[in-house]
Amino acid sequence: MTIHLKIWRQKDRNTPGKLVDYTMDDVNPDMSFLEMLDWLNERLMNEGKEPIEFDHDCREGICGSCNLVLNGMAHGPHEATAVCQLHMRKYKDGDTIVVEPWRAKAFPMIKDLVVDRSAFDRIMTAGGYISINTGAPADANALPINKYDADLAFDYAACIGCGACVAACPNSSASLFTGAKISQLAHLPQGNPERKRRVVNMVDKMAEEGFGDCSNFAECEAVCPAEISITAIAEMRREYFNALSEIE
Amino acid sequence: MSKAATFLKSQVGRKIATGVTGIGLVLFIIVHLLGNLAYFAGPEAINTYSYTLHQMGPILWVVRLGLLAFFVYHVWLGISIWLEKRRARPEGYSVYASRGGASRQNWSSRSMVVTGILLLIFVFTHLYTFAFHDFATAIHDGVEMHDVHQRLTEVFQNPVYTIYYVVIMVLLGMHLRHGVWSAFQSLGWMSRKSNPIIYSIAFVLAVIIALGFIGLPISIYFGLV
Ligand code: HEM
Ligand code: SF4
Ligand code: FES
Repeated sequence: MTIHLKIWRQKDRNTPGKLVDYTMDDVNPDMSFLEMLDWLNERLMNEGKEPIEFDHDCREGICGSCNLVLNGMAHGPHEATAVCQLHMRKYKDGDTIVVEPWRAKAFPMIKDLVVDRSAFDRIMTAGGYISINTGAPADANALPINKYDADLAFDYAACIGCGACVAACPNSSASLFTGAKISQLAHLPQGNPERKRRVVNMVDKMAEEGFGDCSNFAECEAVCPAEISITAIAEMRREYFNALSEIE
Repeated sequence: MSKAATFLKSQVGRKIATGVTGIGLVLFIIVHLLGNLAYFAGPEAINTYSYTLHQMGPILWVVRLGLLAFFVYHVWLGISIWLEKRRARPEGYSVYASRGGASRQNWSSRSMVVTGILLLIFVFTHLYTFAFHDFATAIHDGVEMHDVHQRLTEVFQNPVYTIYYVVIMVLLGMHLRHGVWSAFQSLGWMSRKSNPIIYSIAFVLAVIIALGFIGLPISIYFGLV
């Protein structure tokens, strides 16, 4: 199949970027989107041109590295799919695909389709962990957790930290990511001792990093490859309210 | 005090405040709507309703000031959230599209700041037309009072004002279609299960409120009452 691509090329943060046209003939429908980019890069390098930089690692939807906006949708058109898991058979012969990086002030440009997502790491550093010493691995059933909380914590823990929620949000809000991390720990006994500090610090950090406010558009839930529900954001708000005593 | 200030400045606090002020304003307009319905019961009913409100003295002023504070704070939050969003993405997408599905992006949610600002302008013109007006007087049961009935009847004879009013009420419905659901989410009153239920209730409520307000001017204009 033939695919027309318009790919964002940008040398670095200080040089303005632009969309560049590439046409790929003979795209194999079984290729993943990233494999098609690999192929395009091979061609570019054979022609002595600069390859297109893009982020990827596991290519099986679990690491959260890949980050492409395809025709205006973070991770492309399919629900619950990271862009590395998107296959070309989902497209039609002759389709045009515009490829852009995550765009947010808090995710500064590095090159082409690669942006700096370390703001997420700093939100995690602000409280997305448990610092009490838990000792050696405990017996699996020594600490009973009811099914309801265990399931919810597991759902929230599925977040792969890709940042699609920010990319798709009209406000560039990081609420879904931050909410998922906070709510995951709020449902587990290990998260309890630092529960209040955690939500206050992580919410503050998210604003400090330059992410926007949430307007409840719920676009984040629609693009999230891990299908994190905006209930995580509602829970974050309840947690924050309950942490009033910790606010200075 | 500084605790409250920190809370209200945080991104979560701002949302909670938007929700609280939004719900406060919704409760007010529901009461306002019920009051308007008194017109259908004739001049005496609506004039006496207005008269009774004005007799409440200090309570009325407390409510008015509270309402003003909620309104100003709500407007300020709405506009500042919008300004913040523009700052948070200096370079936009060449192509942007909603994925659909769980997304609540639509004509209503995307235009909150526009419908909001138009509502703000409307409130000024509305107060000018009805609150700061030199009313004629009517006498019911020997008590002299503002003839609100006469003023309403006069204003909604005017096609321009009637159309303006109807259009704004449609915009209010749009604001509340997203707003009512959004306020629940902002206050953390949301679960996976209740989400679609509250979203549907918000739609029904928005339609009822908009149609409720539209009913009066339309009825007067077409001489149905
Ligand atoms: C009749 C008066 C009004 C009512 C009943 C009302 C109601 C509401 C409600 C219930 C919400 C949802 C709150 C939330 O998401 O937490 C909301 C949000 C909003 N309102 Fe209003 N509102 C009114 C007037 C205004 C005005 C005059 C503005 C002027 C700018 C405005 C701007 C906004 C904006 C921008 C939002 C969305 C905030 C966000 O992005 O999260 N509203 N409103
Ligand atoms: S919440 Fe979903 S979209 Fe956001 S970072 Fe986590 S996995 Fe990615
Ligand atoms: S490359 Fe790991 S999730 Fe896509």
